[in-house]
Amino acid sequence: MSVAQTLPCTRQEMMAIATGREIRDGELAIFGVGLSMLAGYFAQAHHAPNVRAMTEGGIYGAEPVGGLPWGIECNRISSNATSFTSCLDALGCLVASGRCDVGIIGAAQVDRFGNVNTTGIWDGEDGHIGDSYRLPKTRLTGAGGANDIACGAKRYVIMLNHEPKRFVNKVSYVTSPGYLDGGDARDRHGFIGGGPAAIITTLGILRPDPVTREFRLDAWFPFSSVEEILGNTGWDLKVSPDAHVVPEPTPSELAALRRVDATGMLRRS
Amino acid sequence: MRNPIAGREYAMHFLLVPRRRLQQYSRNSFSITRELENMSRNKLISLSEAVRRYTWDGMQYASGAALPVGSDAIVFGRELLRQKRRNLHSIFHCNTQQLNLLAAAGATTHAECGFTGLEVFGFANGLRRAVESGDLALEDYSNLAMALRLLGGALRLPFVPATVNIGSDLQHRSAFAPDEYPAADKIPAVTDPFSGRTIGALRSLEPDLAAIHVTLADPAGNAIMLGTEWSRYELSRAAKRVVLIADAIVDDACIRQYPNLVRIPDIIVEAVVYWPFGAWPQGSPGMYDVDEEHMKAMNTALATVAGTEAYIDSFVEPYADIDTYLDLIGRDKVAALSQTSTGFLLDPYRQWIKPHAEVLSLIAESTLETAQ
Repeated sequence: MSVAQTLPCTRQEMMAIATGREIRDGELAIFGVGLSMLAGYFAQAHHAPNVRAMTEGGIYGAEPVGGLPWGIECNRISSNATSFTSCLDALGCLVASGRCDVGIIGAAQVDRFGNVNTTGIWDGEDGHIGDSYRLPKTRLTGAGGANDIACGAKRYVIMLNHEPKRFVNKVSYVTSPGYLDGGDARDRHGFIGGGPAAIITTLGILRPDPVTREFRLDAWFPFSSVEEILGNTGWDLKVSPDAHVVPEPTPSELAALRRVDATGMLRRS
Repeated sequence: MRNPIAGREYAMHFLLVPRRRLQQYSRNSFSITRELENMSRNKLISLSEAVRRYTWDGMQYASGAALPVGSDAIVFGRELLRQKRRNLHSIFHCNTQQLNLLAAAGATTHAECGFTGLEVFGFANGLRRAVESGDLALEDYSNLAMALRLLGGALRLPFVPATVNIGSDLQHRSAFAPDEYPAADKIPAVTDPFSGRTIGALRSLEPDLAAIHVTLADPAGNAIMLGTEWSRYELSRAAKRVVLIADAIVDDACIRQYPNLVRIPDIIVEAVVYWPFGAWPQGSPGMYDVDEEHMKAMNTALATVAGTEAYIDSFVEPYADIDTYLDLIGRDKVAALSQTSTGFLLDPYRQWIKPHAEVLSLIAESTLETAQ
């Protein structure tokens, strides 16, 4: 087991770099709003220069200018595009069709089968909504394009801060389907996409068991540990027999990330 | 409830008159011909008259089909509040500051959306407060589902088969039918007649009105959008009526130079509102950047009832016209936001942009503006 050590980067930067490492050169990739966009464009700036990047806003071939774009359509991502199309084109023709290789989405909550909740937080026991749909204690942002990516992308990566309240046994509301009840449950719906390949957090990386599809601890970061990850996960997290420490960011990775993250969004915590 | 579209049939009738017939009319009465030609080509209208004429309490109102930081007809929502419209059923592909404001002010009781945040600006506090209090019933879909529902409406199909949203709580939970679980009528399961696979049926949308923000329009209502069009193409065909809110008015020659880029043609447009910075504090690619400071201040204000009242007093009620609206934003800020890195996108069209004073004259002589 590792001993926690300090790195010359923040936990969020490590999360973004680990996520970016999932993107391979030449892939057709879709990036959600916010930090996941930084992770994706970091990959393009570093090791995947030929990634065919798009946002669900239908903005293709662009790179951020002036820092993290405020949205998937704003001026900071509209200054050097090769094509402006539409939602129907990006999320429909290129994602729901099964063409998209990889997506990156954020999450408010995720559960042991990689189901994502971005709709709301309900009070009561385990946050269970019950038979009647009742008002959430806290309304979140809704699905956006994440449900479409979760259904259609060949694989996708979920990126979020690692805290017990976010890592729950079963999400109150399945906004974007992971492996649902586990096993081959996705097959019931015939999803063209393969499901979540990894959950990458501020502490480490979780990957699904190939049979049960339950997420296991696959790797921890140089500054975290298995114990810290288990303590911040709200279910009985199993540890993969191959669990290992993630290599720390190289100077060139960090430099590329910080070029993309010009306004330092990932360095604020 | 007053008749929301007085005179519409009359106007539409003459839009359909062939040009040769117009020439025949002209032999009988020169003045009628001029009036007809004016009606068919000049659909400019003031913002206040557009809201008076095309909106009513309880209507199904669609805006945007834009993203939360992008090109949405926010100023149309401000005018809805100025004219005290209530009980709106809002169709917003994504939440924007417009829906955030309408929800905060209690003007909308129902909404259907794909995304309800403000992207990097966080949660939409006004909408959030309205949902958590139960004042707003919010029916959730995904972004692609909303685009497909608008496409279904555009084609007047009763439903659209979907391979997304199924198997999740987007299908199983309905805020409009909260006691049904799993919800039977929101995204019913249907069988693909060819493969036998079970998929979802998305209900098509045909909102009463779409207020659509565009970068450029000619006086007849041919529109060019810079940046992603998101779902404005589908919405413009789905809605029963379309009003454009344009940042700038261009000469007809611009439209004829770039007909491939005219994704919203005049034949489906009722009226054109000219309103620079109509998407403010959101951005309009080619025209102006997102106003970061106001995006945050507005969202902070909308988090409380008192803050919302103060916001309405300060940024919804005070202006009398376009000039005083731009004064309210601040002329220095208007100039700074116009220095956008996307400005080059506008370059091919600049030569055809009509001067402010000329557009105001065109609005004044438009029959939509003067006919009551």
